[in-house]
Amino acid sequence: MSQRESDFDCARLNDAAAYVLGALQDAELASFREHMDGCAHCRAQVAELQTVADELPMSVPAAAAPASLRGRILASVRSEAELLNAAGPAADEPVKSARPWYRRNDFVLGAGAAAAAGLAALIAVLIAVGSSSHGAVTTIPGKGIGVARTAEVSLKRGNGRAELVVAHMPPPALGRIYEVWLVHGKAAPKATNALFSVTSGGSGEVDVPNSLHGVDEVLVTSEPAGGSLHPTRPPVIAVPLTAS
Amino acid sequence: MPRLRRSSVNSKDRLRKLADEELMELVAGNDADAFEVVLERHEDAAFALAYRICGKRSVAEDIAQESFLAVWRSGTRYDRTRGSVRTWTLGIVHNRAVDALRRNSVHERRRLSDEGIEETLEAPERTEVQAVENATSREIRGALGELPSEQRRVIELAYFGGFTHMEIASMLGMPIGTVKGRMRLGLQKLRGQLQGWGALSS
Repeated sequence: MSQRESDFDCARLNDAAAYVLGALQDAELASFREHMDGCAHCRAQVAELQTVADELPMSVPAAAAPASLRGRILASVRSEAELLNAAGPAADEPVKSARPWYRRNDFVLGAGAAAAAGLAALIAVLIAVGSSSHGAVTTIPGKGIGVARTAEVSLKRGNGRAELVVAHMPPPALGRIYEVWLVHGKAAPKATNALFSVTSGGSGEVDVPNSLHGVDEVLVTSEPAGGSLHPTRPPVIAVPLTAS
Repeated sequence: MPRLRRSSVNSKDRLRKLADEELMELVAGNDADAFEVVLERHEDAAFALAYRICGKRSVAEDIAQESFLAVWRSGTRYDRTRGSVRTWTLGIVHNRAVDALRRNSVHERRRLSDEGIEETLEAPERTEVQAVENATSREIRGALGELPSEQRRVIELAYFGGFTHMEIASMLGMPIGTVKGRMRLGLQKLRGQLQGWGALSS
């Protein structure tokens, strides 16, 4: 039982609680993990508290998932399953690549996933984006680059907001997400909290949150899930904004 | 000649009788029907958790979708010795939701987590979100509710609000050590309660 643990056992026992709740800062996280390797008290405490943290999601009142969610997920899953099963048992083995990121195919995780992405792009159905032009909404064309070269990209701007709309866009690779960046002049691209993925049909849209005032270009890169503070890959979408 | 579809081998009814762990073995072999059964079982809990954390229906939907696709694509990495499929899946949802949240401003997160604790959690009729209560969820919520409020608050701010202990300390104006101590005391009390009800194996 936990009662026999006392703080004399280890000064970092309290970190175990923050650890299982995901509340340690990045630097502490690394040092605590290292510490755990050599500290049986903290390992035991983490194991004990983790079982409690694992129950926390159950405290959330159940809510029915939207009816459309299952269909969307299954559409991706079935098309990938078909390709993987057709390609044989080795199709989903991860492809390890020693090449640098800028020369690597974006879909390093598996030939199957890449094929699925390709198929998704090919069979993409362009979802009609209502070009309701109330107010002064301007549509600025953008372009897809590299793996996203087939994408159709436009930025709808007006009424104090901006929205990036894509079609025929391949999904981001496993564990990654598309992130929107704003470029001011020659400064490094500025991160936004606009993260998005695309449907199995390759379409998606995302609100570009910050004001586009003074922005020269809107970029999109593929980043690790959760997004990055600085782009880690070359852009897959660029929308130049003409100075108005 | 059309290939034999897996569904004809594993009919849905047969799949529904399998435990999650058995289904995951089939998922690791790219069986989409087995995955569908896993999805049916856990999509509501996944969506509810994402919604509780990020407070936006559309964002919650995206997070649930990405999380299940991650489960599907990494089915081979599921290790049954490290917990149930549900725990594993909800862990993925939690990580992604918190990541998404951390990209928001502190102000927005604080607003969400405050609403989450006092309102979202209790709101009986949330727009478009149909609440389906079950006994386990009530029990665990009850146990959380019985914690001293200062312990419950730090746990909820961390787990559902995505705040680090340092952020919580500065928000509540208390030393970091106190925050961590309350987290640990709270979790230990919760553990005692849940064990008492048999919700946790000892």
